[in-house]
Amino acid sequence: QIFGDLGADVIKIEPPGGSPARRIGPFAGDRADDPDASLYWWAYNRNKRGITLDVASAEGRALLLRLVERADFVIESDNPGAMAALGLGYDDLAAVNPGLIYVSITPFGQDGPKASYADSDLVILAASGFIALTGDDDRPPVRVTVPQAYLHASADGAAGALIALWERHRSGRGQQIDVSAQQSMNLATFCSSLVAALGMSENRRLSGGYKYGDYLLRQVFACKDGHVAITFLFGNAMGPFTRRLMEWVHDEGFCDDATRDIDWIGYGELLMHSKVPHDDFEGLKATLESFTRTKTKDELLHAALTKRLLVAPVATIDEVVANDQLAARDYWREIDGVRYPGPFVKFAPQPIEYARPAPRVGEHNREVYVDELGLSDAQFAELQAKGIV
Amino acid sequence: MTDLPLSGVKVLDFTWVVAAPGASRVMADYGATVIRVETTKRIDTARTFGPFHTGEPGPEHSVLFQSMNAGKLGVTLDLSKPEARAVALDLVRWADIVMEAFSPGTVASFGLDYESLRKVKPDLIMLSTCIFGQSGPLSGFAGYGSLAAAISGFYFMTGWPDRPPAGPYNAYTDTVVPRFVLISLLAALDHRRRTGEGVYIDQSHIETALHFLAPAVLDYTVNGRGPVRMGNRHPQIAPHGVYPAAGDDRWVAIVCETDEQWRALCDVIGRPELADDDRFATNAARLAHQDELDAIISAWTAQRDPRDSEGLLQLRGVPASAVERGTDLWADLQLHHRGHFVRAPHATLGDILVEGTRFKLSRTPPRVARAGPTMGQDNQYVLAELLGYSEERIVELVAAGALE
Repeated sequence: QIFGDLGADVIKIEPPGGSPARRIGPFAGDRADDPDASLYWWAYNRNKRGITLDVASAEGRALLLRLVERADFVIESDNPGAMAALGLGYDDLAAVNPGLIYVSITPFGQDGPKASYADSDLVILAASGFIALTGDDDRPPVRVTVPQAYLHASADGAAGALIALWERHRSGRGQQIDVSAQQSMNLATFCSSLVAALGMSENRRLSGGYKYGDYLLRQVFACKDGHVAITFLFGNAMGPFTRRLMEWVHDEGFCDDATRDIDWIGYGELLMHSKVPHDDFEGLKATLESFTRTKTKDELLHAALTKRLLVAPVATIDEVVANDQLAARDYWREIDGVRYPGPFVKFAPQPIEYARPAPRVGEHNREVYVDELGLSDAQFAELQAKGIV
Repeated sequence: MTDLPLSGVKVLDFTWVVAAPGASRVMADYGATVIRVETTKRIDTARTFGPFHTGEPGPEHSVLFQSMNAGKLGVTLDLSKPEARAVALDLVRWADIVMEAFSPGTVASFGLDYESLRKVKPDLIMLSTCIFGQSGPLSGFAGYGSLAAAISGFYFMTGWPDRPPAGPYNAYTDTVVPRFVLISLLAALDHRRRTGEGVYIDQSHIETALHFLAPAVLDYTVNGRGPVRMGNRHPQIAPHGVYPAAGDDRWVAIVCETDEQWRALCDVIGRPELADDDRFATNAARLAHQDELDAIISAWTAQRDPRDSEGLLQLRGVPASAVERGTDLWADLQLHHRGHFVRAPHATLGDILVEGTRFKLSRTPPRVARAGPTMGQDNQYVLAELLGYSEERIVELVAAGALE
């Protein structure tokens, strides 16, 4: 989809009957049995044409090779070795098209001790180290409710393919891009894979908060209409933001002069050296929350702008969709009356366009097989009759 | 020396922390020359974040900084000084790509905005990135990726239904954005190659990151329904959970997406009769009996090291993984096999560990030539060798405080 957004002619190839991704919810109108109603499918197959093909059959494979001859990129996410077993591995396809850039996205990479592992988004989140760091410390590690791991991996795959494309202008040759979702997702741990080697103690999950010495700094506070996230930190960079926040808390009568006047730049050092009584610190967090409870998300966001504070609403999806800033930047795009997240980036002079919605099952079969590959109507009908298309 | 894919591509990187340096890091791995410009007047926040080499905090000890900036040249410029801005303009003339992540409007105050720079270099590729983008009523919003994750919806849908949102770890959107910054820059290079035109890129972290919530956005825009926090449960699949394991704070993630996987799980946990139990025989039945289901699985996992559960279940094709903590990642043979851990020379710390590139090109693999630079490590090289400045001019710049 990233390539489609960038203007490439992308053909999504599905098995006859449609991709298993069409069974991933949520579904438009909760029509779980309708192969064209998966919103997951809609979300990640925009700007593509769609065809069906049984690539495991000899005729299907031959058709695929004809498409490969004209392709710059092939992107696949089958288990390591599965495409090669069908005669469709990188070496097979490079023999047909030496300039081909072949992107393989797998849970753990093409080889290695876990290469054949069964996977799921949650399993990759666990194996990457990400969820060990996410959630409340008195509950199990917790995922983001919307699948994430393959999105990181796919974006890495697109970047790798574009690097290979740049190289191909010089060498004329293609290559294989090997993406491991485990390793891609691991970026979201902020180098926690290195802490043991450095002899440091591991970070633990802290409800989105931070640990300063023995003290747990929260990041999420209740407010009048939900929750708000506050980067409540200290030191030269962050301390001034905290000072301005506490000045506001003071102005509204929620803390005394002494609290306002704490040295918020040096406060982190006091915490690191356990020089703040724990009751005082807990009291401080309670004071802050008693203040935020009197404000709405909107009031807090606008104060963040006018007073220069590190404060942001914990937005619900309806609030995200109604966000003034996104509207002002003309972010949202509609296709067939459905509103989608808009372009991932604003390019000038040539902006991203949303030209077409995700394809229906086999929507472009005739266009591709007859109009472009030049099959006769009879040949096309025969492929359909055999269930290859 | 074999040419790397991006050999000859010149990147002038004024960005900081993670979201954009993470992109230029990959360009350096694949051969681009990247000059990372910093100032000692306001040090990169990443330099203040652990983990730290030697275990001691310090601006040259941050592994996060070293990892995000491996392979780059380090230059310090105090852009509040006109002499430094003149150097910056010379660097722009040298560069193919300029990247910046200041608050919107800041580069204009330095005379380094795109309109000014394209006069100096008409085919320049320039990328500006910040939380909310360069325009609009909230463009001045200051914040890190944790706040961006809150305001774009990730926080609300991460956690437990009976608790306040927990939010994903740390500055989550900072880990979504670098891939797309890299994609934008590579696409712009291709555009310039085909058309000869420069490109201006306005990348809003939130606009990019919302693509990772697109199904939830569509659930709202199509069905009028917002997502809810549901712990580790899945609306369509059971079992789908993180289960307790033997040991302190040890866990194992297990998912059965098919009845076949469920039957295999029943065998592995020594409860084959459950496969045909009416409460669990189908996915729909399992979804309706999740509390019982989770209790049964937990009773088995709680007796075992999570890596043993992982191994036993994976042998039978059941998706499972120990929840890896930092120590486990360092012991993970798969990550070692992938070249995830790389040693690279650092100016003062010797050969140090950084994380490797996350994807591999088979014919032109990435190369990590050095760890991240110390502040100003390459001032002399860049000014004398790349820009051809005289020693006298460099001394003047030092005296003017431009190189701070």
